[in-house]
Amino acid sequence: MQAMSKSRKAAYLGLSYFFYVAIALVFILPVLYMFVSSFKSDAQIENDMSTLKAFFPVGKLTLENYRASFVEKHFGKFFLNSSVVSLIVVCCATIVNAMMGYALGMLEFKGRRFLISVVIAFSIIPSEAVIINRFLVALKLGIINSYWGLAAPLIGHTMYIFLYYNHFRGMPKELQEAAVVDGETYAGIFWKIMIPLSKPILATVAIMAFIGAWGDLLWPALVTRDETFRTLPLALRGLDTDVHTFWGQIFTFATLMTLPVFAVFLAFQKQFIASLAMTGIKG
Amino acid sequence: MRQKASRLYREQTRTAWLFCAPALLFICTFLVVPFFMSVFFSFTDKMLVARAGKPALFTGLGNYVKVFSNSTTRQAFINTGLYTLMVVPFILVFGTLLAVFVNRQLRGVSVFRAIYFSPQVVTMTVVVIVWSFIFSASRRGMLNSFLGVFGIPPQRFLQDTKQALVCIAVMYVWQAIGLQMVIILGGLQYISQELYEAAKLDGCTPVQQFFYVTVPQLKNTLVYVFISVTISAFKVFTPIYVLTNGGPRNATVTVVYQLYKVGFLNNQQGYASAISVVFFLFVLAVSLLQNHLVGRED
Repeated sequence: MQAMSKSRKAAYLGLSYFFYVAIALVFILPVLYMFVSSFKSDAQIENDMSTLKAFFPVGKLTLENYRASFVEKHFGKFFLNSSVVSLIVVCCATIVNAMMGYALGMLEFKGRRFLISVVIAFSIIPSEAVIINRFLVALKLGIINSYWGLAAPLIGHTMYIFLYYNHFRGMPKELQEAAVVDGETYAGIFWKIMIPLSKPILATVAIMAFIGAWGDLLWPALVTRDETFRTLPLALRGLDTDVHTFWGQIFTFATLMTLPVFAVFLAFQKQFIASLAMTGIKG
Repeated sequence: MRQKASRLYREQTRTAWLFCAPALLFICTFLVVPFFMSVFFSFTDKMLVARAGKPALFTGLGNYVKVFSNSTTRQAFINTGLYTLMVVPFILVFGTLLAVFVNRQLRGVSVFRAIYFSPQVVTMTVVVIVWSFIFSASRRGMLNSFLGVFGIPPQRFLQDTKQALVCIAVMYVWQAIGLQMVIILGGLQYISQELYEAAKLDGCTPVQQFFYVTVPQLKNTLVYVFISVTISAFKVFTPIYVLTNGGPRNATVTVVYQLYKVGFLNNQQGYASAISVVFFLFVLAVSLLQNHLVGRED
């Protein structure tokens, strides 16, 4: 009796692990396929795609795709564009929204309640619903086809303000009062006391802003006119819709543009998951 | 004393408005002003690049009539609805099952959790391009070869009017479900173990425990997942822009793609604004639904 239940337990456990691995394969294989294919020639990729070889680094492996991506397809330029835009967005979004979150969460002032309800109301508007007229605004401001034009609309964000607002609301008021007694201004309190105490939430917002800017496609599709300011997702799409597509190079672009996000994920796993869980989901 | 307090209040007011100004400026310039422009222009025949000597005219509800009478735009709303109907129930059901499945104290489970979450690091553009290779319509394409093992004839996938939207839904689910699993997992941690103990004493099977304890206790988490996945599904654009351009035969035209096409490629800003406003109303309705669903709790 005892022995049977034991062996049944083992079978149950084995079955569990079988499903764990099977599901894991569904999530791993496409990424593995991308990574492995970036080292294969187009002929090799086409040859391997109907067999399991597609997922293994077999056959003739080459760095030719990487050379061609950088030398012929200007991967470096697009990477720089994406990096500059993401950097502007991350730096500005982290600070600008924190300032407002601090004001709403820790300061007593006329109009506070009004501003909070305004932010709630604005948070319902999806950016997709304003995209065409946002383009007209950018056109009028003369920021089409520029880093600033790509980055500026992604900086102010109601969700980031809320995150900061909740964070600062939970901070001890005594800290602030003590500093006021010492003659510190409120701006000084924010920069010298609150910012250093808010590193985890700053990191969370920075990661959100980075992922948003790095993967954005709709806005760059509108606001860039030519290759000069094209970002990586657009460049990748360009490779895919070219008259002649080079599969290996597409996989190389795809692999290389995934690496920075992967690096951020490895470095800040906890905040990475938290920030995405709060965004809900990407479009 | 009183004077000092009021001085502090004044200083706080000044600092607060100064601190709110930059964020408000950005949000107003790129979200609120364009939003009101959309509402205003939706009643006009304004073109994005104005025609010389032909000012925009008020056309009343003309654009809104066109939203529902134009076959492509109507198709865009229908497709977006179908896509949402495919994606949301699937993610709710399988996201929950996946979360329960990995919510166990077994060796190595945390590794599997990380793996299931990992598609999150892949940018959507990359996801759809890699999957477009998997969905290659050629007889020797990856998925077709796999199906061939089971004797299933080659499929057209993204080139088939009936399958294209399903393929796009698959790509999205593949990327999104791990994140929803993590969110539901967070909700599971809050369920008291005592409830399960009590259910066991009452003789509940694990399946009964799932339906009578887990699901009701997860309600708020599931409502959150339901709403956020629905709104995000409404916004689908990347796979259409990168892979199909709405084809074959408008089978994958979605609302956001259509308003991009009408407003940006076809220059019809007024018409696109009307599509935007209708789109906004759908998003608003879902947001209000959330308050309703969560509000009823207490």
